[in-house]
Formats: sequence, C-alpha cells, structure tokens
Amino acid sequence: MNAQAFLKVAGMSVGYGPTTVLDNLDLDIAKGEFVALLGSSGCGKTTLLRTIAGFAKPFSGRIEVAGRNVTELPPDKRGMALVFQSYALWPHMTVAQNIGYGLKLQKRSRETIQSRVAEMQDLLGLSDLGNRKPGQLSGGQRQRVALGRALAIDPEILLLDEPLSNLDARIRLTVRHEIRVLQKRLGITAVHVTHDREEAMVMADRIVIMNSGRIEQQGPPEEVYNKPASPFVATFMGAENFLPMQARVQGDLIELAEGAYNQASVTPRAGRSLATGPVELRFRSEAARLIPVNDAATQGTGQLELRGQIVSVSYPGGHWRHAVRLGDREILVDADRPFNQGETVKVSIPAASLFIFNTPANTAKVA
Amino acid sequence: MRKNLLAILLVLPALVMIVLFFIVPLIASILGAFEVGDAWGLGNFRKSFELYSGDMIFTVVIVTVSTALIGIFSIAIGGYLTLGENPRAVAILRWLYRWPMFIPFIVVGQILRTFLAKNGLMNNIFVSLGVLTPLQTVGFLDWRGIVIAFVWKQTPFVTLLVAGAMASLDRSTIEAARNLGASRLRILIEIVLPQISGTLLVGLILSFVTMMSVLSVPLMINAQSPTMLTADIAFRINAHGDYGVANALGMISLILTTGVALIYLRQTMKERS
Repeated sequence: MNAQAFLKVAGMSVGYGPTTVLDNLDLDIAKGEFVALLGSSGCGKTTLLRTIAGFAKPFSGRIEVAGRNVTELPPDKRGMALVFQSYALWPHMTVAQNIGYGLKLQKRSRETIQSRVAEMQDLLGLSDLGNRKPGQLSGGQRQRVALGRALAIDPEILLLDEPLSNLDARIRLTVRHEIRVLQKRLGITAVHVTHDREEAMVMADRIVIMNSGRIEQQGPPEEVYNKPASPFVATFMGAENFLPMQARVQGDLIELAEGAYNQASVTPRAGRSLATGPVELRFRSEAARLIPVNDAATQGTGQLELRGQIVSVSYPGGHWRHAVRLGDREILVDADRPFNQGETVKVSIPAASLFIFNTPANTAKVA
Repeated sequence: MRKNLLAILLVLPALVMIVLFFIVPLIASILGAFEVGDAWGLGNFRKSFELYSGDMIFTVVIVTVSTALIGIFSIAIGGYLTLGENPRAVAILRWLYRWPMFIPFIVVGQILRTFLAKNGLMNNIFVSLGVLTPLQTVGFLDWRGIVIAFVWKQTPFVTLLVAGAMASLDRSTIEAARNLGASRLRILIEIVLPQISGTLLVGLILSFVTMMSVLSVPLMINAQSPTMLTADIAFRINAHGDYGVANALGMISLILTTGVALIYLRQTMKERS
C-alpha cells in the first residue's frame, strides 16, 4: 500500500499446534495510520494482532517495525503496547500504579513516573481516580485506565483487541470517538481489532476485512463499503439481499438476463472483473427503492428493476422495512412510507448500489 | 409452627452428631485440663509449662519454619506451572509434584528416617560419590528432619491450591505485564502473587494446623527431647495415664492454632471490606 510501511507483516503463517490460522499473510501499515482489522469471530484477526504483539510465534514470515525485524523479539522490545479485550487491569494496584507500572519496569525515576501518570490521567479524564482500585471503576473508566497504561510507555504502535466490546452500547459510541481523537492527537500508529462494522468505519483510516485467515479486502471505509471486492465483503458490509441471475459481459456493459422477477436490463461494468455466466447480485435494503406497480415512471438507465409482493412491514426506526417476495426468494427493502401487505410493487436498485459477483463455481474462468 | 418443627427435625440428626461427637468431647477435654485430683485448678498448666515449655517453643518454631518453606516452595512450583515456557518441563512437574500428598505422614516419617540418618541412604550416596567421607557425615534426625518431612509432605497440598488459583487468573493480566517488559520473576511476585495471596494464606493455615497435629513424624524422626507437643501428649497418656496434663497440652496447642485462625479471619474481613 505504502512505499514505506512502518509496520510490515510479510508472508506470515501462524497457528496453534497443527492448525494454521493465518496462511502467508501480508499487511503494510503506514506511520500514524489507524487500521481496523474487521471480521467475524474465528477469522484470525485476534491471532494476527497477538502475533504482531509477540504473544504468538509465527511458523514463518517476518514482522518489521520501521525496517527493523522484530519477529523474534519479545513483546516488550517491539515498541508496541496492547490494550486487552478484558482490559487486564491488575486488581491489586491502584489506577496510578496500573498506569505507572510500565515506567517502573523501565526504571524511571519516581518523579518522572508521577508526572507521566498525572499527564495520562489528565489526558484520559481520570484525574481524581488515581487512588482507586480497578474494582471501584465503571467499565468506561477501566477502559481508559487500560488505554493509559498502554500509552504511558509512549509506544510507537498501539494495538487494540476489541477494546470496546465489553462496554454498554451508549458508552461505546463516545469511547470510540475519544480513542480516535486521541490517536490523531498523539499521531500514534494504531491497529484495532473489531467485529463491529460501524465501529471500524467510524474509527479507522483503513479497514482490513478478514475471512477465514485471509485478507478479503482492504481500503478506506468508503471504498470497502461502496466497492466490495467479494460476496463476503458485500454481505459483511451490510449488502445482505441476495439474488442469483444470469449475466452476459459485453465490453463495458453487463447484461442481466430476464428472470422470474425481472426484465432484462443493462448496467455499466464500471471496472468490475466479471465473466459471462451465473452471477449473484447483492445490495443493501436502504439502497433499493420501492415503487407502486402502477407508477408509470420508466426504468432509469443502468438500474435494475424487480417485481415482487410485500410480505411484511416493520418499523425499525427512521424508515419502514419491507420484506418483498420475488419468486422463491425474499429481500428486504426500506422505504419512507409503509406499503400494504400483499401489495405488488416494483423494486428499483441504482447501478452504483448493485454488487455483482460471479457465483463461486464460475470464478475459475475469471483470470 | 408446624413448619418450624419440621425444620428442626431435619437438622436434628446433624446437630446431634456434632454435639455428641465433637462438642461434648471438646468440652470434656477442656474441663479435664482444669481438673487436678478432685478439685479445679491450674495445676495441669503449671506442670505443662514446667516440663514442656521448651517443647512448646520447639513446636511453634518448627511448624512456623515449615510453613514458611512450604509457602516459598509452593509459590515457586505454582509459578513455574503457570509461567513456565517449556511445555515438557511443565508437564513433568505437574505430574510429579502431587505424589507426596498421597503418602501418609507415618510413611513419610519412615522413608525419611532411613534416608536422613547418619548412615542413611542420603549420606551413603554422598560418600559413594566422594562428596563426603564417612566421618564427615551428619544425621538429620532432629528438628531439621521434622521440617524436611513436613515440607515434603505439605508442599504439594498448598501447591495444588496455589497452582489452581494461578491457573484461573485472567491470563491477560500476565500478558499485559509481559507486554510492558516485566520479567517472569517480577510477574510472579508483583502480578500473580498479590492476586492469589488469599488462597495461599488459606493453604498455609490449613497446613499449619495439620502439622500441629501430626504425631507420627516427630515420633519416627525425633524421639529425643526437645520434641513436639503431640509426642508429649501421647507420652503423658501412654506412659503416665496423666490425662490432666495431656488435656492442658492439648488446650495449649488449640490456643496456638486459634491464633493462626484469627489471623486468617482478620485477613478475610479486611479483604471483604
């Protein structure tokens, strides 16, 4: 990605015992960048983070920080600090002792430690809590102590292992904003593991989407959101409506063949690598539009129009959500006003919101 | 009312057992300590202190030293089981350390008697290795033998508790310390130990009380004077039929263990508040 990667993972394979979790993985992260590793549980994102941190030994491959090979170094010699999912605060130490422990290990003077701890407490809004034990703190405060403990040693790289997953939904929204602001202010390089799509979108400069030990796609949030490179990414980023179709690729156009619930339509190829044959269409429920069937408006260029029947209507807030039956399939479509159950409707999806992929059996032809 | 009666009926068998087999003998023994001839008095205690004050100190010192050593060894073994990085060594140690727990005290005493004597197995090995000459050998069949037997027998028990507590710690509290550069020894002392100190204390107090009550080890290893209070109690009864002094000695060791129990209670109260 960058010519000068600050943190570089090259050809790394990791596993536990006989199982390989990550196979030959490459990842470059620039200085000051905030990267989110996003994926469902078991995809290897935490293993990747723990290997970068030095808690898991790779079978093969290299990890470099600023051109320095750190693959064989112990966790504390890598210039990284890890914030654990459970916070891992030491219950027998006060907030100040927790934050200052790393400095104590570095044999800094008492005055240095005191002033640095005070600085961290100010930075994180923990000023009056220095003498409390972790057991006397709220979840959000513990989280900040864990962050303060990691930042106190002034690491070059901050590693965050699902640091928000133990917080209440409301606190989580503010804390993710706080962490992002802090990271920008300190200019620190951060790698953040999460399974929460929105969290990754809001916090990260770049999202790395992982699936069964591989990187499926990486890029800025708007890119992975609007241009998913695989069905997995599309689904993971919220395009959960799924329709199988036949497609014919002709130059810069894709012809979608007429089917049980749609007329033939043509959509721009827009740089997609696609082969003629069976394809799967994916789109978000909010990207599609519902139109009464007798509406005379003609189909716009490039957009796909489907015909179906409203099965059910619900109101999740902000808009009405409709389950629409198309032949033997069902999709979800949002609209500003409710349609009647049983009503026949047209569903219109703009070209830009349509994600088209060859069905897996066919992918071999794409070269 | 009827419900209450049923509840009492249900508790009754257990209550009777405790009163009959525990409280009555205990009270009888305490009363017996104050019985001198046909009158009440402190004569038994006076005699106990006259004859056995040396043994009381001997007992307290031996049990205290043993408890301290058991603490050190169980922390070391538990720490290695938790923080050790060589999986094979950890597995071997885990398999090995429990064995003495299943050996009765009397057998421990017997094994160590033949092992630690002046011409016992240990010294024979040293002599045959050329480390010592037969004239230089020293027997350990005195207070040191008792301490060795106690530590050998009780360390696995405390280690079992300590290692269990260490294993159930949040591993990431250990990793967080490693992440900041703490050595394994520092992690053990500054991170792991404070979190399991309650369990360690319970283990050590139970060991202390157990060792206070062991008769076979002092009899097997150190039958001469000074010896432990348990041996004295047995001697008063078996040789003299002197139940009064035996009861008084029993009460004195009860007071000693109660002191330890109080330390434990105070500690747990402090932790809860």
